[in-house]
Amino acid sequence: MDLLCLGLSHQTAPVDVRERFAVSAERLGEASHELTQKPGLEEVVVLSTCNRMEVYALAEDLDVAEQSIKTYLAGDHAFDPADENYFYKRVESDAARHLCRVASGLDSMVLGETEIFGQVKQAYTKALQASATGRTLNKLFQKSFSVGKKVRTQTMIQGGQTSVGSVAVDLAEKIFGHLKYSEVMVIGVGEMSYITAQRMMERGAKKIYVVNRSIENAQKLADEMGGEAVSFDDWECVLAKVDVVVSSTGATHPVVRPEHVEKVRAKRKYRPLFIIDIAMPRDIDPEVGKIEEVYVYDLDTLQLQADENRSKRQEQVRICEQIIEDEEILKLSNTNKNEYIK
Amino acid sequence: MTNSIIYLLIAAVLAGAAGYLGMRAVQHGQCSRWTVAWMLLSFVAQCAVLGIRGELRGQCPLGDFGEILVFLAWSMTIFYLVIGSTYRLSLLGVFSAPVVSAMLFMATVPGMMEVAPKRAVDVRPWHETHAALSVLAYGSLGLAAIAGVMFMVLNRKLKHHEMKSGLFLKLPPLNLITASMVRLTGVGTLVLSGGVFCGLLMPNKTDAGWLHLWAAVVVWISYTVLLTIWQVRGMTPSRMALSVIALFLTSLIVFAAL
Repeated sequence: MDLLCLGLSHQTAPVDVRERFAVSAERLGEASHELTQKPGLEEVVVLSTCNRMEVYALAEDLDVAEQSIKTYLAGDHAFDPADENYFYKRVESDAARHLCRVASGLDSMVLGETEIFGQVKQAYTKALQASATGRTLNKLFQKSFSVGKKVRTQTMIQGGQTSVGSVAVDLAEKIFGHLKYSEVMVIGVGEMSYITAQRMMERGAKKIYVVNRSIENAQKLADEMGGEAVSFDDWECVLAKVDVVVSSTGATHPVVRPEHVEKVRAKRKYRPLFIIDIAMPRDIDPEVGKIEEVYVYDLDTLQLQADENRSKRQEQVRICEQIIEDEEILKLSNTNKNEYIK
Repeated sequence: MTNSIIYLLIAAVLAGAAGYLGMRAVQHGQCSRWTVAWMLLSFVAQCAVLGIRGELRGQCPLGDFGEILVFLAWSMTIFYLVIGSTYRLSLLGVFSAPVVSAMLFMATVPGMMEVAPKRAVDVRPWHETHAALSVLAYGSLGLAAIAGVMFMVLNRKLKHHEMKSGLFLKLPPLNLITASMVRLTGVGTLVLSGGVFCGLLMPNKTDAGWLHLWAAVVVWISYTVLLTIWQVRGMTPSRMALSVIALFLTSLIVFAAL
């Protein structure tokens, strides 16, 4: 019996290929069970996310098992040999190591992201419920979860946000604490402002106002986010109410100037105001940042922070790899295959 | 060396350890969860000091500058322990522990504490309650000033986009610090109201006693005005923080001079 991992990911296959081989979350258990019925396969866990599709299996014969998996994944059609290049294969300790890396977020598109841990857990649970796992995969997956936890608690692999939107949201939380009492105004309906506002909503922002020169576009974005569209002529009134402003218009001159903020300061009772300027050229007059209770962050500052966090995570990879290497499960598989498999 | 000095040294060292370990944890970007435990132990030792001194005097131990310092440190520690657990502001300990430790060490300096204080002949309840409540209020107001310092540190970092230090990562959100600062100022002012009220009821006040009392009334009015402005008109949090720090330091200097 050999441990096998066969799959494709964002590192080896473009999105259209990944789409073709993807297994929906509802079918993970069923797919795992069906694969155990195929020649050469004993225990199976199918993991399928937007960035990867992997099959972990205990195989009687590696070649036969590989063929069975590919045929199954191709579905009604025959497996296209052109797709062969997109697949990678890991066996024995490499497969175990790979699973640990995946569960720890080391193989993710966003290094150290946490979502993958839950996705691996879900894939395993579904396979377990479908009776597609046995002693070996049970042991392997349980171990990968403890390794994943260890990596996240003992290193800084998930420290700091790596996207501009998330860095901005973290800063908002540093100022306001929980965002559930905070109202957000989005000026301009660009992609970046949409993503940033979306992150704010995910973290519980109380309300979103969308301001745009075209009220139709503002309404469209507001509907998508469950917010309220505001005419461009009225944004100054909304400024008195909100805690966060996200601005990304295509204007060539500053949209928010010191006099706008000065006018509403008393009405706001001098509460802190966090302004995120992700427009190029900038929407916020730099003088606005000199007002005592106003915190202005532009795209460059946020991007710099995101880049720094990303490189800090990169520096942690070596330590994470060492934690994985130190695991008994990898040593066992290297030295005593039978013991590992039993 | 008397028992009270031994306990005082223990309390000062424990508070110092709380501050040192807390600072080190913050520098490494970790939580300073042990600060609370060290401060709790220091609090126990401070209670022992005050207990011994109270027994010696036969009244509330506020008879000399050393005792006032210990009482002030004790009230700051008690408020820290209450606020720390309620608002999860354990980092407040990192800032307040060194202040508490310094006060306690200062109290050990020879001459600060009478070695054999006179035992009180008569009990003066209004006088003692006035002194105890006033010092207790200063504990809360002192802690508010420390929260003010925390606010100024974080505010500066946010204004200048300095997001790398462990301190930035571990400091609580700005609004939470502001809320704690205002709440501590409110509690301090409320307790001070009781202190001032008891002071007005004190019989046989001397000229120095009246001067002292008027100073307390002016401090009370200043804090009340500050809180009213904050509540009614509004004020930038940084101005509130600066006011809280300045008022505390000014009143401390005034009372020390008196």
